[in-house]
Amino acid sequence: MRKLLTTTVTALMGLAATAQAQDGYFAGKTIDVIVPFGTGGATFVSAKFLEPYFEKHLPGNPQINVIDRPGGGSILGANWFEENARADGTTVLFTTSSTANPFVLGQEGVEYRLSEYRVAYSHPFSSVAYVAPSTGVTGADDIRESSEPLLYGGIAAAASDLPALLSFEVLGLDVRSVLGFNGRGPVRLAFEQGEVNIDYQFTPVWLTQVVPSVEEGRAVPLWTGGAMENGVLSARDPIAPDLPSVYEVYERMNGEAPSGIEWDAFQGIASVTYAYGLTGYLHPDAPQEALDAYAEAVAAINADPEFQAESQEVTGGARLSAGPDTEAAVKAALSPSDEVRAYLRNLLSEKYGVNF
Amino acid sequence: MIDTALVALDSLFDPMRLAALFAGMLVGGVFGMLPGLGGVAAVSILLPFIYYLDDYSGLAMLLGAVSIVYTSDTITSVLLGAPGSPASAPTAIEGHALAKQGQAARALGVGFLASMVGGLVGSLVLFFAIPIAGPIVLMLSTPELFMLALVGLFFASSMIGKDLAKGLAAAALGVLLGVVGPAQAAADFRFTFGQVYLLDGFSLTIVALGLFGVAEVISMLAAGGGISHQRMEVSHWGAGFRDFWANKWLVLRASLIGVLGGFVPAVGASASTWVAYGHAIRSTKDKSKFGKGEIRGVAASEGANNATVISDLVPTLLFSVPGGPAAAIFLGALFSFGYYPGPRMITQNPDLMFLIVWSVALSSIVGAALCFAVTPMLARLTRIPFAIIAAPLVLIMVIGAYQATSTMGDIFMLFTLGALGWLMKHGGWPRAPALVGFVLSGPMEQYFWLTNQIHGWTWLTRPGVLVIASIIVIPLLMQGWRWLRQRRVAEIAEPDDAAEVPGADANRSIALVLATVGAVMFAYALWETFTFNPASRLMPLLAIVPGLPLTLWLAWRGVREYRDDFARDGGELVILAVLLAYAVAVWAVGLTVPTLALIAWMLLVRAQMRVRSAAVYGAAVFAVVWLLFDIMRGDPPVGALIPLS
Repeated sequence: MRKLLTTTVTALMGLAATAQAQDGYFAGKTIDVIVPFGTGGATFVSAKFLEPYFEKHLPGNPQINVIDRPGGGSILGANWFEENARADGTTVLFTTSSTANPFVLGQEGVEYRLSEYRVAYSHPFSSVAYVAPSTGVTGADDIRESSEPLLYGGIAAAASDLPALLSFEVLGLDVRSVLGFNGRGPVRLAFEQGEVNIDYQFTPVWLTQVVPSVEEGRAVPLWTGGAMENGVLSARDPIAPDLPSVYEVYERMNGEAPSGIEWDAFQGIASVTYAYGLTGYLHPDAPQEALDAYAEAVAAINADPEFQAESQEVTGGARLSAGPDTEAAVKAALSPSDEVRAYLRNLLSEKYGVNF
Repeated sequence: MIDTALVALDSLFDPMRLAALFAGMLVGGVFGMLPGLGGVAAVSILLPFIYYLDDYSGLAMLLGAVSIVYTSDTITSVLLGAPGSPASAPTAIEGHALAKQGQAARALGVGFLASMVGGLVGSLVLFFAIPIAGPIVLMLSTPELFMLALVGLFFASSMIGKDLAKGLAAAALGVLLGVVGPAQAAADFRFTFGQVYLLDGFSLTIVALGLFGVAEVISMLAAGGGISHQRMEVSHWGAGFRDFWANKWLVLRASLIGVLGGFVPAVGASASTWVAYGHAIRSTKDKSKFGKGEIRGVAASEGANNATVISDLVPTLLFSVPGGPAAAIFLGALFSFGYYPGPRMITQNPDLMFLIVWSVALSSIVGAALCFAVTPMLARLTRIPFAIIAAPLVLIMVIGAYQATSTMGDIFMLFTLGALGWLMKHGGWPRAPALVGFVLSGPMEQYFWLTNQIHGWTWLTRPGVLVIASIIVIPLLMQGWRWLRQRRVAEIAEPDDAAEVPGADANRSIALVLATVGAVMFAYALWETFTFNPASRLMPLLAIVPGLPLTLWLAWRGVREYRDDFARDGGELVILAVLLAYAVAVWAVGLTVPTLALIAWMLLVRAQMRVRSAAVYGAAVFAVVWLLFDIMRGDPPVGALIPLS
């Protein structure tokens, strides 16, 4: 989008920068970052946020274009990537669990082979659960003692609400969910209006809207989705270190570590939603050199004081990840066992009426 | 508060920021005029540039663009009859009819002034966002939003027209188009035929452009000559100012309807514009001129759409919930500058809030003035043969449609819906109810479902619901009482209540074709509806239950009244066929070759230009099309059979 104009402007305004461009894998190249959502959405904004840092730290200082390709709940843009991605690592699909879940569940219309793509880099997208004080709940431990029925508002079961719904399954909570909202923003508004009383919000909204509500006593924080530690989604999320992870809450409630099909399903879906919430994928044949270049850039960006300062403000100081461990974790989450897949499909069709 | 407001005004008058604001206004003005490209396109094209500016300048640039789009789109709607943006479709109906009668200046004058008032009312609401608008937004829970959708439907019912069967069938058809895609209530994808393209449903832009724009272009091309058969004088604005003043209260009420529309999350300006238009019809005694050029229709819709796009910023700034599509992109821009909207942002950065207010207020006034200034030049275009304008117009509509998903589906859908719009136009089906049905079906279904899930039936007794319900019930009671009294006094003198919508001269064979097509669609929809979850069936059934019998009855009526008059509009059919062939050709061999062929056909065959001037002009049009494709999207469609672009 807007290639010509942006190219011209960048050429004019960045003459000095291009003059210094050293040699490197991406020297003289242009990287297209495909975002399968609309401009202005959280994913698009995150891609724009990262754009200057990658331009600065990728070897060869390539020019980066962030291109939105919305449609089909991100399926259209991902299908476009499947057909048109360049194999040299200069086309990136930057997306969320909204693209991963339909792939994992094997939904109709999915033409992209997400689990075969190479993982260039990833950024966590934390999520925090909270309830209304009217429930009488004061924290994770007495969530079962709610004085009123718990009501959760969501968009669609098979999309980004899936990890939240699965967390209720893991914890064995009796939560009624009303799906069909336009987005998490309207759900947040419905919480403020007292229409729903338990909610999950992602990092930026948590920091800027829910935290003030908590301080004013209009919301009670519960837990976070958790962070990866030795391949288990058990650690506390740095965004809210005072809150337990879902793993911990289960442990406290039941006196043992969570296990079983519910936990496996939650961990798989939640790790691509939270821990690897925003992931940049490359063509399956992307050369190792390109992957190394991204990993190198990620290390440099994480060390960049400017990035550290800005991310502190925007994401509570979250860091990018890249390299073989990240790739292995993402790929594992994208290729669940047949059992987990069957459990998910069954749960979604039985409880939420999803047709496959 | 006043101090901060003045400080903000002062900071806006920094030369760089004013320049950015005006640059945004220029881009917004141009995009408003290009049919199918509106606020969203203007804002997303400006987005990369704002990062080179400081935060206030960047935001001012976007606001300049947002607040002028619904002023300048009046020009296209009135002069060309193709809606400059979906939310000005009513203006295209009434304003263009006026333009054809040589009253373009009157329609435009009222349109610009009403837009300005709408913008100013919106700015005022934004100014009082924290004390007044915010609490109102918080009062509007899902039951109240559902009631507002019902009010919209109630106002829209006055657009049905005289031929009740055709009007209702058109509305049902619109609702049916609106339920395509994801169901709100349960995880069903309705009527997608396994096509990923349809997973999101139809794009409003494409439906509005197809039903109105394409059909209009076809008729004007076939008619030959210029857009107006009379000389269009747009230098004398006096009549427009007088009409505006006579309708000032209507404009104000329409602006308030627009403001409310802005408060509803994710419902853009289209819904409130139609509601305001319906309100204009209901509140006008002599409804005979609606559909044939009624200035009150222009006044109401232009007042509403500008107010909506600005009050969209209220939920955006107070709750981070974008009120409409352009506001969503603006929200993204705020994020990128490190502003995270919410009540806190407004108390912490009051100068930013007031900068926004001043930017939209200033753009509303200057925007109207700019439109007054450029219109006389543009009006000259209406006297040259339409075929010369048609070539770039059709291609710009293609680009506008292509913004939806950038796949071939957009182009196919534009011309398929164009064919439907053409059938409706000639079959005597009013198109306004169809578009209203389309726009309202989504929010109605969503809010009804959420309301019933969250509140059961207790929502019916909520005070907000009762207040909003009174908007419907009181006029109905008054009407009923008046009707009773009138019946007692005089038996016959019944008021001409239905708005006159042209339909008397419908082409009978086209009406028969359309009724048959409609009946087949409804019958198929009925069959597929039974495969959905029960919760997803309600809205489609709301369309099918009246739609199927109505279309069957219309088909039967069509057979009985059949007259072989198809040839009357056969000339237009050729043009429709060419456009459909163009879509297929783009799919097969990519953009370049079919586009050149289409331009050549329009200029040489339809406009009968001389080869040399056609070559020069055609090359220029082609270059502009490529440039626009390049600016808007990196890649024009590539052929499926021969991979050219």
